[in-house]
Amino acid sequence: MAVQGIWSGTISFSLVAIPVRLVKAIEPGRISFRLLHSKDYSPLARRMFCPEEETMVPPDEIIRGYEIVPDKYILMTDEELESVSPERSRTIEIVEFIDMKEVDPVYYDHPYYLVPSKGGEKAYRLLAEAMHRINKAGLAKFVLAEREYLVAITSRDGALAVTTLHYSDEILSDEDFSPKKGKIAAEEQSRMKKSIEQMIEDFEPKKYADERRKKLMHLLAAKAKEKPLVEAPAVEEEEGEAPGDLVAALEESMRKVKEKR
Amino acid sequence: MSRTFVEMAGRRLSLSNLEKDLYPSYGFTKAHVLEYYRRAAPFILPHLKGRALTFKRYPEGVEKDFFFEKRCPSHRPAWVKTAEIPQDNGERMTFCLINDLETLMWAENLASLELHVPLARADSPETPDSMVFDLDPGEQADILECARVALILRDLLSRVGLASYVKTSGKKGLHVYVPLDRKGTTFEDTKTFSKAVAGIMQKHYPDLVTAKMAKKERNAKVFINWSQNDASKTMVCVYSLRAREKPMVSFPLEWRELENQSTSGDPERLQVTHSEALSRAEKKGDLFREVLVKEQKLPHL
Repeated sequence: MAVQGIWSGTISFSLVAIPVRLVKAIEPGRISFRLLHSKDYSPLARRMFCPEEETMVPPDEIIRGYEIVPDKYILMTDEELESVSPERSRTIEIVEFIDMKEVDPVYYDHPYYLVPSKGGEKAYRLLAEAMHRINKAGLAKFVLAEREYLVAITSRDGALAVTTLHYSDEILSDEDFSPKKGKIAAEEQSRMKKSIEQMIEDFEPKKYADERRKKLMHLLAAKAKEKPLVEAPAVEEEEGEAPGDLVAALEESMRKVKEKR
Repeated sequence: MSRTFVEMAGRRLSLSNLEKDLYPSYGFTKAHVLEYYRRAAPFILPHLKGRALTFKRYPEGVEKDFFFEKRCPSHRPAWVKTAEIPQDNGERMTFCLINDLETLMWAENLASLELHVPLARADSPETPDSMVFDLDPGEQADILECARVALILRDLLSRVGLASYVKTSGKKGLHVYVPLDRKGTTFEDTKTFSKAVAGIMQKHYPDLVTAKMAKKERNAKVFINWSQNDASKTMVCVYSLRAREKPMVSFPLEWRELENQSTSGDPERLQVTHSEALSRAEKKGDLFREVLVKEQKLPHL
């Protein structure tokens, strides 16, 4: 399958460098709607509005401000922002190998796959198989879209997957949410353990689906069959009289104006 | 809203409100504007071609509000050619390219009375193909002072081997263009060069010339605006209409004509109306053609 890459470069550690492409691993199942004008079904556009002047603001009059206290801002230019952005890089450099079981799932951010680029197939397979055999994940730093990410590279069924990880200072402590410690009777504990054990199954994600999405898809399919679709006004091809000649149309218009005067 | 449909080169175009008075005190309607640009097309199109256009739109005519539109409207017909140009903020913006008569007519139907273009082409937005001196008279000066400055400027440039060409701004000023060979020239180069020239002019003709932007510095002097030599700036295109009481045109002049007129004492004789523009261009051809084809190397300072 030809998947469009988000990024291409090399994955490397010590003396190995393998050309790869990064592709997305999930296609979000959210069904999205366009916002339309109820009068003529034109798709609506977003514009920036200045409530003070009650006017639309063109892009060249828009700047960034960091709100440090309410209504007080520190201005930030594009150049200043760029000065703190990491240099674009073409490599995913593995700095250490870890045991993935040690990574709390709360750190997982976004999954991708790595696909070997031309000439990298053999080295890719070698790395994927070796990592699978020793059951370790590579930890790497990697710049994507002007941000530096910490990523875990795992091997699954001969393919390498990349998961971006949250930085530890992004993770909120669970201390505030844990209940207070107290004594629980051994009998109560074993009862709870037993009821859990009765419900243990193998993880089969296929058993579950987004029910709202399913119903929405059915509803859309039914509506598409029953009701005619509404259409946005054509921008160019409009119904009307038969098109005329430009010169004739302009002359006609100028003559009409002359007569009126 | 009245609509008229026309077909041009197999493309269908919807023209709206052709009877709208866009120059009310002159009785010049949108149909007149379209007719002007239709006849001016052979002359103006080569100068618009392949350049990221900025529309200056006057939907309610020259006496009412206008707005600049850089982003090519999303409601454009599918056949309108566009170019993506990186902006100062790092984002890319889609501009319209007016490469043919149909697109010109579509743009004018949007009441884009004035057409402004950058000094570089859309395929190499950082490489100017000409250097410009925008001569802008102060309150107590007029186009005749600009003419004197332009003539001195022409002589100064020719002494360093550069031919230059002049057009009216269609308002009170004059624009002097120096065509370049585009070989590695940057806006940095043209800006440095034109700033230095403006400085020299100011030093030698302090009563006539200022190179400073401040309005109060201008008065009876002519401001040589060198800062137009910038990738983010645009100049009104030659043969474009201007939005003032009468439909005047930014029109190319021969240096000889400027010499004769500069001593006449009548600034109005250097202003070219829409009808005069068409009859002169149809008779003499495009006097600004050299600006597109002549290749000159910008000398080192």
